[in-house]
Amino acid sequence: MKSTILCSALLMGSLWLTGCASSGVKNPSGVPVTRLNPDEQGFVAGTGIESQDLVAVADKMARSILAIPQIANAPTPPVVVLDPVENKTRFPINKDIFLTRIRAQLNSRAQGKVIFLARDRMATLEKERNLKREGAVTASADPQVQEFKGADYFLTGTLEGLSTRTRAGTSDYILYAFQLIDARTSAIVWEDMAEVKKQGLEDAAYR
Amino acid sequence: MVPTPAIARMNCKPGFHVGHQGQQGFRPSVRGIRATRWLAILLLASWVTLSWLLTGCAASRSQGPPLTGDILVDGPRAIAEGPARDRVLWQYRTAAAALRQGRFDLARTLLDEALLTLQGIHGPNPEARRARSLFRPESVKPFIGEPYERSMAYIYRGILYWRDGELDNARACFRSAQFEDSDAEQRTYAGDWVLPDFLEALATAKLGGDPSDALRRAQTNVRGATLPPLDPSVNVLVFLEFGPGPLKYAAGEHGEQLRFRTAPSPVKSARLQVAGLTVTAAPVDDVNFQATTRGGRVMDHILGNKAVFKDTADTVGDAAILGGAVLAVAGHGRKSAADEAGAALVLAGLASKLLAAATMPQADTRAWDNLPQFLSFVQLRLPPGDHTAVVEFLGPNAQPLPDRTKTIHFRVPAEGRDVVLFVSDTSATPQHQ
Repeated sequence: MKSTILCSALLMGSLWLTGCASSGVKNPSGVPVTRLNPDEQGFVAGTGIESQDLVAVADKMARSILAIPQIANAPTPPVVVLDPVENKTRFPINKDIFLTRIRAQLNSRAQGKVIFLARDRMATLEKERNLKREGAVTASADPQVQEFKGADYFLTGTLEGLSTRTRAGTSDYILYAFQLIDARTSAIVWEDMAEVKKQGLEDAAYR
Repeated sequence: MVPTPAIARMNCKPGFHVGHQGQQGFRPSVRGIRATRWLAILLLASWVTLSWLLTGCAASRSQGPPLTGDILVDGPRAIAEGPARDRVLWQYRTAAAALRQGRFDLARTLLDEALLTLQGIHGPNPEARRARSLFRPESVKPFIGEPYERSMAYIYRGILYWRDGELDNARACFRSAQFEDSDAEQRTYAGDWVLPDFLEALATAKLGGDPSDALRRAQTNVRGATLPPLDPSVNVLVFLEFGPGPLKYAAGEHGEQLRFRTAPSPVKSARLQVAGLTVTAAPVDDVNFQATTRGGRVMDHILGNKAVFKDTADTVGDAAILGGAVLAVAGHGRKSAADEAGAALVLAGLASKLLAAATMPQADTRAWDNLPQFLSFVQLRLPPGDHTAVVEFLGPNAQPLPDRTKTIHFRVPAEGRDVVLFVSDTSATPQHQ
């Protein structure tokens, strides 16, 4: 009887082994996304631009900007306007978020060394100024005087990508480059960059 | 409930558990009784295993809410209440329907959610792993679509970004659309969409970049149509789509081969009339072509292995049952060990047949079933003000097909973002866009 059971077990075992449907497939369970140049660890869900990239890049840029002489040694705080970042990657993103975070970092750390202009609020600001000029609302100063500031510098940047997709997986390299441009001379007075490369492979069920 | 009659039938077979009739009559031997018990236990275990497998499958196939036939009702309900594995499928379908109804905000939201899922599928996925198991069909995995479906999701999202004036994000979507098609089995068909490359070039030109690479790719891949010259000064873009898109079906003995069913489109081209201009638009991309030229998938290999296992288990089961029966008959009345071996083989054969029956090599045939077959595009430079565009969809002899003429009212601003119109042969008409 034992031999009978053993025989049956062997037969069933052979069937299971020969029937492993994923045999011959490389990495059938996929390979988790790996950030190849990490300065911050965390769970990465995709190979695109994610929050940890934003934090790392914005922090680096804010520190870098504060160190340049045009900011650190300026007799009066330079006035900076944010110009939208251009996204040249394959990932649609909310690109303003980079400049927003850099601005917030600078405002919180620079303690008045830089002044940013709210150009994205100009319509509201002009409306308020016109109400003051018309006397419809009170004014703490002469509303006829032009007090809207002009920019000394423009802070802008580009996100560029290099992507590869093969049966071995997906690879995305993204270069984040930011510049501070002198509004009077068009000279790029500061530029810095950060780069991130990620690779991943989806489950064989999706390949 | 099932094992009881099976065991009863086994007990009625004298050769399985009685000694030699001439010596002992029909009185069971001790050895025979032990063997019968073992066999009964094994058979019971097999039935329980099979029942568990089948029950597990049934439990995993939760049904969605009832359908009304109106996709803008069924879609949101299926997304909210239906199986999670079909969520992206319904987001795709509903977004396409919303685009044709002019409900661009709804389409934008749905596509964003779908693409979020699509971009996060790397690494181990328990549900996808189950789709690779022998006893689950491929359709248990969360749907994200085949590459042509993913590309279409990006193309639609790119059009919506352009409508919103975000040309760089639109370009990112067109690049991703092409990227989804970049690992085709044959390199000839890798990244061979035309419209995404042309639109990438146009967006790049409008953003002040160098569009030459993307434009060259578009011109290389275009078939049966002539691309318009790249003109960054155009301010009206008209996206046209028509004809029925591809559907999926399962072929092969066990349905393990994914195939695409394409139907000839009654619409062959479109004619746009606006502001005294008449422009005929030929198809620049064929979704059916994209679906059928991608080549084999890794998953096809897995499904093929499942089918081989199913066949092998079935054949082994047949052989074991037959061999066991022969052994039992041959050994009957002479040697009880032969009877036991025969019985064991029959049992193993039955178990093997059960495994074969429980194996599910069926390919996943869920499809984004409201895609068009053809994509086309018209670019215009129109003066500011209100305009009305009339789009006729034309048959094989360039005759307008009845009930397919669409009227779109729109306004061109004096300055600012481009006007982007989206017109399908199934669009609601008239529309204000």
